[in-house]
Parts: sequence; C-alpha cells; structure tokens
Amino acid sequence: MITKRQLGFAVVGLGLLVVTATVGVDIVGAGQWGGFGPLQRIGISLSLAALVVGYILIRLGDRPA
Amino acid sequence: MSLSRVFKSLGATLALLAVLVYLGYMIVYVAYAVNLFQWPFDYDQGEGFELYDAILYSRGEWPYRDNGVYPFYASNYPPLFHLLIVPLLPILGPLPVAGRLISCAATFVTGGAILVIVRRKVGGWLIPLVSGLAYLASNYVYQIGPLCRMHVTMVMFETLVVGFIAEFEHPRHGKRNLILGLLMLLCAGYTKQMAVFTVVAALSYVFLRDVKKAILAGVTLAAVAGVIFWLLNVATAGQWWINIIRANVNEFDYRQTIFLFKQWFQLHTIFILLAFAYLAYELFWDRLSAYSLWFLFSLGAGALSGKWGAGFGYFTTAIAAACLTSGLALGRLQNASRITHYASRFTHYALRIIIPLLYLLQAPRMLHLPTSGPVFGPLARALGVENDLVYGTSDNLAENHCAVVQYHDVMGYTQLGHPLTADDYAAGEEILDYVRTAAGPVLSEEAMFSLLAGEPVVTNPTQLLNLYNNDLLNTTEIVERINRQEFGLIIFRAQFYPHPVLDAIGQNYKPVEHVCMNGFYYHLLWPHRQLDHFSE
Repeated sequence: MITKRQLGFAVVGLGLLVVTATVGVDIVGAGQWGGFGPLQRIGISLSLAALVVGYILIRLGDRPA
Repeated sequence: MSLSRVFKSLGATLALLAVLVYLGYMIVYVAYAVNLFQWPFDYDQGEGFELYDAILYSRGEWPYRDNGVYPFYASNYPPLFHLLIVPLLPILGPLPVAGRLISCAATFVTGGAILVIVRRKVGGWLIPLVSGLAYLASNYVYQIGPLCRMHVTMVMFETLVVGFIAEFEHPRHGKRNLILGLLMLLCAGYTKQMAVFTVVAALSYVFLRDVKKAILAGVTLAAVAGVIFWLLNVATAGQWWINIIRANVNEFDYRQTIFLFKQWFQLHTIFILLAFAYLAYELFWDRLSAYSLWFLFSLGAGALSGKWGAGFGYFTTAIAAACLTSGLALGRLQNASRITHYASRFTHYALRIIIPLLYLLQAPRMLHLPTSGPVFGPLARALGVENDLVYGTSDNLAENHCAVVQYHDVMGYTQLGHPLTADDYAAGEEILDYVRTAAGPVLSEEAMFSLLAGEPVVTNPTQLLNLYNNDLLNTTEIVERINRQEFGLIIFRAQFYPHPVLDAIGQNYKPVEHVCMNGFYYHLLWPHRQLDHFSE
C-alpha cells in the first residue's frame, strides 16, 4: 500500500522533472520560440501545481493514498 | 404545509424536470443516430475506410499493407472495432450502418455502465440516471457517437475497465474483477491506441493499493499485449509497426489543445468542477479511487488533441470520467448529509433541491438540437434558437459549408451533428454516377463511393499524408500512375493527399464538377485524356 507521503514524494519528483525539462529545452536549444515560450509557461505552471500538491501530501503522512 | 414538505415537493419536481431534460437529449441523440443509419455514404471522412478494414478482415486479408504499391491503402488503427463489424456484414451488407450500430450501442453501454457504477456507489435514482444520460447529452458524444469510427467503442471498454478494476479488492470476486479489467484494457488498447492513458490510470490505482499485484498485472498485460503486437507485426511483414505506430507521429499545435480544453470546460462546466472537487477530496481527505485517477489521466488524452488529425473526440474519455465522478461527488455529498451530525435537516433538504438544480443549470450549456421537423422545429422555436446558428444560409454562411444546415449547437459551427436532407441523397447519387461510369479505377478521399459502386478502394489519403510527413512513403508508383492518367476519376473533399500526389493530379486532371453534399464540396476531376476525347 502506498501512503500519502510516498505519493507526495512521487508528485514532487514529477514536478521537478517537468521544471528541469521545461528549462532544459532552452539549454539544449530545442523548441520553436526565442526566450520562454507558451508551452514552457504551461509546463512551469503545471509543475508548480504538482510541487504544491506534493508538499501537502507529504505533510499528510502515512495515511493510505 | 410544513417547510420539509415544501422542500420535498420542490426537490421532486426539479428532479423530474432534470431527468426529462436529459431524456430529451437522449431523444435528440437517437433521432440523429437513426438519421445516420440510413445514410449510405461517408458522413465523417474516414467512416468508409473503417468499414473497408472490416471488409478486408471478412475476406481474411490484413489492412496493414505497403502504401507505396497499388492500391496504396493501409489502416492506421488497431483491429478490434473492425473485427466487431465483421459479423454484421452478412446481415447489413457492406454499408456504414454496420459500424454505426456498433458505435451507437457502445455509447449506450458506456452510459449504462456509468449509471450502474454510480447507482452501486451512491444509491437512489436521480444521480445515477442523470450521470449515465449526461454522457449521451454531451455535444462531443452526440456528434461522434453514432459514426462508423472506433473512438467511442474504445471509451466503452475504458469505462468497463474502470468499473472492474475499482473492485479488484472485492472479498469474493476480486481476482475475477482484476482479470476482467485487464481483458477490457487489452480490448480498449486494440480498439485504439489512445487507451494508453486508461492503462496508466488502472495500473496506478492497483499500484496504490497493492504494489505486488500491480507489478504482476502490469507484466502480464504487457506480455499478452506484446505477444499480440509481435504476431501482428510478423503476420503483416512489419507493416503493422509502420502504419500503427510510426505513421501516427504527427505535428502538434498547442493552440488547438488550449482551444479544445476551454471548449470542453465551457460545455461540461458543472460535471468537470464536481469531478475536480471529488479528486481533491479523495487526494487530501480520503483514498484515491480508480474513478478519480481515470478522470485525472484522461486529461492526458485531451492534451493530445492538438495533434494533426485529432480533435474534440480526444476528450470523450474525460467526459465519461467526469460524468461518473461528478455523480459520485454529488452522491457522497447527499449521503454525508444523511449520516453526519454536523449536517442539519435543512442541509439534507437543501441538497434535494440543489442537486437537480445543478443538473438543470448544466443542461443548457450543452444545448444542441435540429431546428426543423414536426418535433424539433417547435421545440427550437420555444427555446428561441430556430434561426440561431442555422448555418449555410446567406448572411451566416460558414466557410467551406455549402448547404443550409438546420441544426443548433452552442459550440457554434460544427461539421457533424446536423441531419441529412433529400438534397444530400441526390448529391450522393450524382457522385455515384460518376464513379460507376469512370473509365478506370477511382481515386477518392472517401471510400464509400467506391464500395457502393463495387469498385476497388484506392488510397487512404490521411494515412498517405501521415506516412509522407514521416518520410515513410515512396510516392513513385502512385505519381507514375497519375502521370499515365490511369485513374478514371478523382474525388477530392479536403485534398489531404501528399504534395507530390496533389502536384501530379494538378498536371494531369481537371475539375469537371463540384457537387455539394452534406455541406461540403466534392470536386470531381477527369483525366486530360478523357476531356481531350470529349472535345474531339
């Protein structure tokens, strides 16, 4: 059985992965827009939401997810 | 009369009204489906190709072929939907009604499954009934539900998956439910590739509750699906992989996805808000259910709606999930007001009014109906929409839509959903005359003309374009045949052929007539040799 805390860590991990990928596309020069593109803004918004949700879940402890 | 009796009477009246409104949507859906059942031509581009896949299976042939050689045809979808059509072909003949019946039945099974699941979880009749009917009331489900296309059959299997998987811990039937759930997952995936999001949702749910069982289920499913995949690829000499996977990598337009997300939300607002609220409730205060996880992951399918060739149909799974989870949310609220100490009797009675009121507020957000006929004409007038968005007439003529369409949809202009007219039937026969008298095979963007005339189906244009865009198509033979003017007639509707094919056609064929059918112009082209012959 997975707990809220474990699920929270997974969600935070996913959020960090999305942030890294979103910023990373500029570093490797991929993407079709100069600067921060619209898809990157969507990616950052979704990953921020994931980080907040993940943090709350971690605080909820060992209750079953 | 006491206050509680007033609440009860008002609640019962509103509940009856809500059920009647959603039953009304079901009648609109049935009327549209029956109208389509009689239509022998393609209504949506692609219906004839799906039927042709079923015909090929009935002959013991694969639809996964080399697109570079005559007849330049291959399917880009898995086989299950087409195999379900096969038994109907001897009864109904090679007509799209065979596939349309399967699809229509699938939408009713999906609505029925939502009703049964909600009824088992929350009891009562209003919430389960409206939850099931709401699926049929959705503009998206209405438009694509009775088409000879596989998407809603996939959604049916997905709904059954969730129904079974949610009960995998049942004390007596847990094992059976898990096996049936996995079997339905396999069926959904082999109906359409999009089911992958439901696969993730279902396995995630099992994983949250029983990690070992999830790994075992996942490995078993992957093994069975993988073996079938490998066998299909071997049997088709690798064409399965090319046509099903590699050809489906298409351009993505994020603006289309955003537009469709907004439209989906505007049309189904209350169901979606309730579904999100239920997801948040389970996530933070309770345990996540298979239903909420399904809703969450179904948004992933919606996110792919910006792919070339995709559209609002990609939200159908999310609609089914929203109908289901919104019903669970309202049921939970209603039951909580009965058993908790915090809730007063007033809350309980207020919910009796609020719940049907929410359904009634949601209903006009999805308004769609024909605006003519003995029943729908007066109804459209009563609703004040008889002239609203009747597109195809003088000042409100929609771009690329050449006929009057008496149909109202809050979505605005829609390619699908309107009833067919006598003019459409006459136009279809006119095009069919060209096909029957063509001096050579017919290259058509829709398969039904060739199938009805007993001619071979040549090309699947969108598949050719998919392959061409992925550098997987050798156009040498088809261009040579066009240059030799071997095709007696070419029928264009959207000109979805690859550029070299369109260029060759432009140099060797000339339009002879433009026929307006089902709101679209069909451009009929003859080879120069034939026009020269007539001029001599």
